[in-house]
Amino acid sequence: MRKPLISFNIENLRMKKIFIALFQILLWCTTAAMAQDVQFTALAKTAVLVGENFQLQYKINAEGTGFQGPALSDFQVVSGPGTSTSSSVQIINGQVSRDVSYVFTYILRGVKEGTFTIPAATISYQGKQYASNSFTIKVLKGNSSSSSSGSGQSAQSSNENDVFIKAYISNNTPVQGEQVIITYKIFTTIPISNIDASKISSFPGFWATDLLSKQEAGPQSREMVNGKEYVTAEIKKFALVPQRNGVITIDAGEINCVAQIRTQAQKRNSDPFFDSFFNDPFFNSRYQNVEKKLMSNPLKIDVKPLPGNDKPDFFSGAVGSFQFDSQIDRTEVKANEAITLKYTLKGKGNIELIDPPMVNFPTDFEVYDPEVKNSIKSDANGVSGVRTFEYLIIPRNPGNYTIKSVQFAYFDISKREYVSTTTPEYKINVSKGDGSSSSAVYSGSTSQEDIKYIGKDIRHIKLSPYDLRPSGSFFFKSGTYYFLLALPLILFILVLIIWHKNVERRSNVALMKNRRATKVSRKRLQAAFTYLKESKENEFYIEISKALWGYLSDKFTIPRAELSVENVKERLMKKSVSEEIINQFIETLNNTEFARFAPGNKSQNMENIYNEALSLIIKIERELK
Amino acid sequence: MKNIILILFLFASVVVSANDNQMLIDEANKKYNEASYQEAADLYTKVLMNGFESSKLYYNLGNSYFKLKDMASAILYYEKAKKLSPGNEDVLFNLKIANNNIVDKIEIVPELFYIRWWNSLTHFFTVDQWGVVSLISFFLALAFALTFLLVGIVWIKKSSFWLGILFMVLAISSYSLANERFSLFKKDHEAIVFTPTVTVKSSPSDKSIDLFVIHSGTKVQITDNVGDWFEIKIANGSVGWILKNEIKKI
Repeated sequence: MRKPLISFNIENLRMKKIFIALFQILLWCTTAAMAQDVQFTALAKTAVLVGENFQLQYKINAEGTGFQGPALSDFQVVSGPGTSTSSSVQIINGQVSRDVSYVFTYILRGVKEGTFTIPAATISYQGKQYASNSFTIKVLKGNSSSSSSGSGQSAQSSNENDVFIKAYISNNTPVQGEQVIITYKIFTTIPISNIDASKISSFPGFWATDLLSKQEAGPQSREMVNGKEYVTAEIKKFALVPQRNGVITIDAGEINCVAQIRTQAQKRNSDPFFDSFFNDPFFNSRYQNVEKKLMSNPLKIDVKPLPGNDKPDFFSGAVGSFQFDSQIDRTEVKANEAITLKYTLKGKGNIELIDPPMVNFPTDFEVYDPEVKNSIKSDANGVSGVRTFEYLIIPRNPGNYTIKSVQFAYFDISKREYVSTTTPEYKINVSKGDGSSSSAVYSGSTSQEDIKYIGKDIRHIKLSPYDLRPSGSFFFKSGTYYFLLALPLILFILVLIIWHKNVERRSNVALMKNRRATKVSRKRLQAAFTYLKESKENEFYIEISKALWGYLSDKFTIPRAELSVENVKERLMKKSVSEEIINQFIETLNNTEFARFAPGNKSQNMENIYNEALSLIIKIERELK
Repeated sequence: MKNIILILFLFASVVVSANDNQMLIDEANKKYNEASYQEAADLYTKVLMNGFESSKLYYNLGNSYFKLKDMASAILYYEKAKKLSPGNEDVLFNLKIANNNIVDKIEIVPELFYIRWWNSLTHFFTVDQWGVVSLISFFLALAFALTFLLVGIVWIKKSSFWLGILFMVLAISSYSLANERFSLFKKDHEAIVFTPTVTVKSSPSDKSIDLFVIHSGTKVQITDNVGDWFEIKIANGSVGWILKNEIKKI
């Protein structure tokens, strides 16, 4: 328990020492700073020329913050404010002194003649505001006046022919898509620096590639122009690919540079010996930096359209000279394994502008967007290189597939004709994938998929039969229609009429029979009566039974053939004849049969039967009325 | 003399038998398959000029014009085909695609559900098919009436009574359906715009206010006519007047 406590104390002691040391250092610093007076001053030339660049400096010997520059409305601010700092620490006999200086620099240019006041700038240091001194600057008349203000004998050594730029074009009449090279060249006889050609960068109507890397200055050479020797250098060089045909004007290019213009100083007349020596240009020249704006000549380019008559359909604007081929890494794969198909375009021309080829992949393949790689060199001769399009394809289902060949066409500049190349067709054999790999992709789902609709079109025309008929004719409400409508109606009525007639007729027959029944039976009975008188026994009984049966049949409209002794009761019951009559009738029939063979007086028997039959018929007649 | 020529002409046109027209259509179909759509369209039109029509003929002609990118004509003939056989799926499909290819996209005012049901019922058969239905059901109704009247057995009497009434109702309703569609047919009350751009006016006069603009291929309903002007109604319910020569009746 004790040991950790002791160690803690030691630690504590060490920390204390460090703190004290730090504190002392801090103290020194602050006292050193405090000891100094803060000075904030402005420095500049008091007289400048119009168009001359000069420095305006604000200096503070402390770490000032929040610098607020003066309003410089009378001057053109070329650059600034830029900040620079310097600090030094001196330790003399334990006395530490520290010098800090902050400098804010403007580069100004006098625009107009006159005397101008530059107001004070402000800065704050440790919460206090400090203001600089303000001062006046005299802006004098430009170069000529400055030289005339001298001895009046120095001449301006700069003129338009000393430095100029010129633009060249490699081909004034390219075809659309053909690259031309534009070169801006500077010609100078005087030393120049700070060449700024950044304004030359855009060429409307062209695709431009900078051929000179930024830092690289073109090689210098010497050239004679109009009998004058110039130092020349290529400043800007572009490969231009015209994007449309017609006359395209390239505006004059602007280049800014600082030219060192030699001005002769005042002649020293005092000493003839030195005179010749000092008047030598080597000693006697003063150089003045003058900012110059140089304009090149504008250029006109007449871009010819590509010949259209034998242009292939698949031409996509490539102009130059190219090689196009394809590579496939394998053609035998398992489902869900990736295939890499690479199209390589090699050559010179507008290679960067060429789109990926249109490849017709089988719709069942999963195809990713091609990876486009450029390895393009742009040198003084233009743009050339290799452009590759790498497709990653994954067949999802087994089968035999074909990747159709891809055609590529370009316009050959040297031959002035279209050249087309065709890549080979690839047959891809996809075998069934491993279960594991497919399940890794599909995570156990079934291999069903939605039907993919590739195109949309109207449905095909219809074939025969065409069901042609005269236009505007309808079956509905036509004569045939009405006829067919009326026909069943007529049939219906006809059937009804015929049926009715038939029924009527049949009922008439029954009525007749009914009416006749009494008559017929009476006739028969009369005949029987005559047989009775003549004692013709057989005939009598036949006639009686005929009379009875016939009466029954006619009266109740039962066909004669259907009647017999056995079923007569049943039949009559059906016709709702009263049971009494039926019984009587059967009894009479039985009596008739019986009486024939009965002993006793035959004529008496016959008479009895006759009476019985007569009374029965009368009874029925009466009952039915 | 003129009459004789006319009669001769009519006679000749009757003599041009259906067989010749069949051959014309077969020829046209061949041209269509060879993608010479203009010739195919001309041949189909020839059959129409001979005075014959059929839903399939109009459909094939519509297809030819579709392939020629003449959407207004294609829609006109699809509509004519639709008029002759309203329920045909192929006709409806192609008409829909053609309508997707015209300038005007008109929000159709949705119909009430019973009107929709009614339309789908009346479109189930053509006019003539409805006519046949009415004939058959009328015949059956009479047959059952006869059975009812003549057969003495009670259950047959009962059932034939109800069946007779049922078929009579069916006959009357199918007749009236056919009649309704028939009268619509005769009225020519729909048309297709053929002028590329038509300004619809507020009244039948050039000086009236411009209401809206429709383009070729749009179907309009003719609701009235005055002089050279039709009052039309488009599918979203807007009404206005246009010149007669800017549209073709279906």
